[in-house]
Amino acid sequence: MPKVRYILLRVTLALLLLAAGFAAGQRKLTVYAPQTTYQADVLVREGVDYVGLADLLEPLGRLETRVEGSRLTLVFNGAAAEFQDGHRQYRSSAGKFELSANFLIVDNRGYLPIASVPQMLPRLANLQAEFHAASRRFFVGNTQMHFSAELRHDPARLVLSFPAPVNPTSLIEKNRVRLLFRREPLVNSGPETANYGDAFVQSTTYSESPEGVELDVAVLQPARVTVGDNGRTVTVSAVAQAAAPAAAAPAATSQTPVQAGQPHAERSRPFVILDAAHGGSDNGIELAPGLEEKSVTLALARRLQRELENRGVQVVLTRTADNTLSLDQRAAAANGSHAALLVSIHAAPNGHGVRIYTPMIPARGSAQQTEPAKRGMQPWELAQQPYLQLSARAAEAMAGACTAQGLAVRSSAAPLRPLNNATLASVAVEIAPPQADPKELSAAGYQQKVAAALAAGIASLDGKLEGAQ
Amino acid sequence: MIPRRLQVMIVLLVLAILAMASYLVYLKRKAEAISGAPSGQPISAPLPGPPQQLTLFVASDEDDSLTTTVVSSALPSDAGQRARLALHTLILRYQQKDSPHRLGDGADVHEVYLLDPASAVVNLNAAFADKHQSGVEVEQLSVFSMVRTMKAQLPQLARVRFLVEGKSRVTLAGHVDLSDWIDVGSVVDACRELH
Repeated sequence: MPKVRYILLRVTLALLLLAAGFAAGQRKLTVYAPQTTYQADVLVREGVDYVGLADLLEPLGRLETRVEGSRLTLVFNGAAAEFQDGHRQYRSSAGKFELSANFLIVDNRGYLPIASVPQMLPRLANLQAEFHAASRRFFVGNTQMHFSAELRHDPARLVLSFPAPVNPTSLIEKNRVRLLFRREPLVNSGPETANYGDAFVQSTTYSESPEGVELDVAVLQPARVTVGDNGRTVTVSAVAQAAAPAAAAPAATSQTPVQAGQPHAERSRPFVILDAAHGGSDNGIELAPGLEEKSVTLALARRLQRELENRGVQVVLTRTADNTLSLDQRAAAANGSHAALLVSIHAAPNGHGVRIYTPMIPARGSAQQTEPAKRGMQPWELAQQPYLQLSARAAEAMAGACTAQGLAVRSSAAPLRPLNNATLASVAVEIAPPQADPKELSAAGYQQKVAAALAAGIASLDGKLEGAQ
Repeated sequence: MIPRRLQVMIVLLVLAILAMASYLVYLKRKAEAISGAPSGQPISAPLPGPPQQLTLFVASDEDDSLTTTVVSSALPSDAGQRARLALHTLILRYQQKDSPHRLGDGADVHEVYLLDPASAVVNLNAAFADKHQSGVEVEQLSVFSMVRTMKAQLPQLARVRFLVEGKSRVTLAGHVDLSDWIDVGSVVDACRELH
C-alpha cells in the first residue's frame, strides 16, 4: 500500500508540474535583425534558458549544421564552429571559448544558452548583438530604436518622438498613462525614471518585460493619448478642464485599453494567418545550390509579418521555425485561428515576379454534391467553397498592390491545399526571381519589396473580408 | 492424439488454399492477356488510318502560358484511347530538349479510363510524378495543359482524376493537389488568366 501511495503521489506531482508548464506558456525569444524580426522558442533546462541554433541563425544568413554523435559542427555564412553536447567549451575560427552553461543536443538539434549568444555572434559571424534579459529580446546590429521625451506647455503635454512608426497600446488610469510597445525594438537611453515635477506630468518610468516595453507616465490631470506624424510621435496631453469630468470618469473606473494605432489594431483576433510552405523534413524545391524553398518561404513570411504589424495588422504564423506540418495541420491551424485571411507562401526558381493563386474547388458528381447538403455538412475538401468570392477579392487586392510596386504579377485559380480546406478567405503566393537568377530569391531587398507590396494589399482589405471572420 | 475429424478439416483447408492459389494465378494470366502489354513496355503505335487533327495545349514556363498547337495523327475510334494518345503526344513534346516546359525522362501516361462521357481517370506512370519539377506554377501548367488537351478530344468532359501507377497521390510534386477530381470548367476559366 505505501508503494501504491508513493506512485500515486509521484504521478500527481508530475501532472501538476505538467499543468503548471502549460499554464506558464511557451517562452519566446524575440530577435530584431536588420533584415527581419522573428521569434524563437526558448528551451528551459536546469533553470537555464536555451535557444535552438537553427531557430536563431537561419533567418540571419546561410546556415549548415551537422551532428555526429555528441559533436555539432556548424557553418554560418562561411564561418565554422564546433560544439559538444554537455560541454561549455566550443571552438571557432577565432579560437576556443566558453559558454555560460553546457551546450545541448536534443533530437539532433543544437541548443545554446541564451546568455552566451551576445558573446558568440561577434566571434562567429562578426555580428554585434545585445540581449535584454527582462524582455527576452535580442538586437542584432543597430536595430535598437531609441526615443526622446520632451515636456511642452500651452497646452501641457509630453511629446515622445520615435525614429520609425510605432503602434503602442494605451491604458489610461487615474493619475497614470501606460504605453505598451509590444513589437517595437524600443530601448531606453536615459535613466529608467525621469522626474519632471510639472503640474501635469510628474514622471516617466521605463520598464521591460516579456510582453514588451512599458512606459508609465505619472500625471496629475486627466490625460489622453494621440499619435501623429505617421506614428512617429506619441503625445500625452491634458484633457481640457471643461471636458475633464466626462472624459475622466470611465478611465478612472477601470483600465480602458485604447489602441493608438490604425483601425486594424482594435481586433482581438488576428486578421491574417501566414503559412510558410514546407519546413522540417519537407525542404520544398532546391531553388539554387544550398537555397531551399522552406527557408525562403519562412524568411518571406517573417518579413510580411513585420510589414503587416507595422501597418497595425495582427498576424499569426503557422510555423515560426523549421518544423514539419502536414497540409491538414496547416488548414486546421488556419481554421482555428479565427483570422479573416490565409496566405500560403511558396517560392519557385522559374519565371519571374509574383504569382497569386485562389483556390480551385474539386469537381463532384451530381450525387456527391447533393448528399452533404442534405445532411447540412460541408465536406473537408470543399470547405473553401463558401469563401471563394472573398478569396478572389483578397487576391485582387494583393495583385493590385504588387502591380503598383512595379512587380510582375499574375493571378489565377489552382487546385491547392491547404487552401481548399480553409474556412476563410485564402490565397497562395509564389514568388519567383525578379530576373533569371534564383539566388535573388534570398536577397533581402527583393524579399522586402515583395513583402511591402503584399502587406499593402492585405492592409487594404480591412473591412472587406468580414464574412470570413 | 489429434481427433480424426480435425485431421480431415485441416486437409480440406489445405486443399482449398491450393485451389484458390491456382485460381488466382489463372485470373492473373487472364487479366494480363486482356490488358495487352504490361506496364513498363513501350506504348503501342497509333492505329493506321486517315490522319486527323489533334489539338495540344502546350505549356511554357518562360511566360506562364498555354498555347494551342495542332498536329495530324491517325486517331483510334475509342474516346479513351484517343485521349491517351493526345496526352502521350503532349508528353513526348515536353521531353524534347528545347521544350519550354520540361518533363522528366520516361514520363508517360499508362491509360485514360472514361467512367462516363463527363468523367475521366488518367493513370500516369511513376516517372511522370517522381521526376516532375516542384513548384505551384510548373505543376499547374502540366495539369492544365493535360486537362485542356483532353477536353479538346472529349468535349463533354467535366472532371478529371489523376492517378499515379493506379494509386491516388496527394500532390503532383509537392504543390498541386491530385487527391481529388479536377473540375474541367474551373481549369478552362483559370486558363483565361494565363498568357
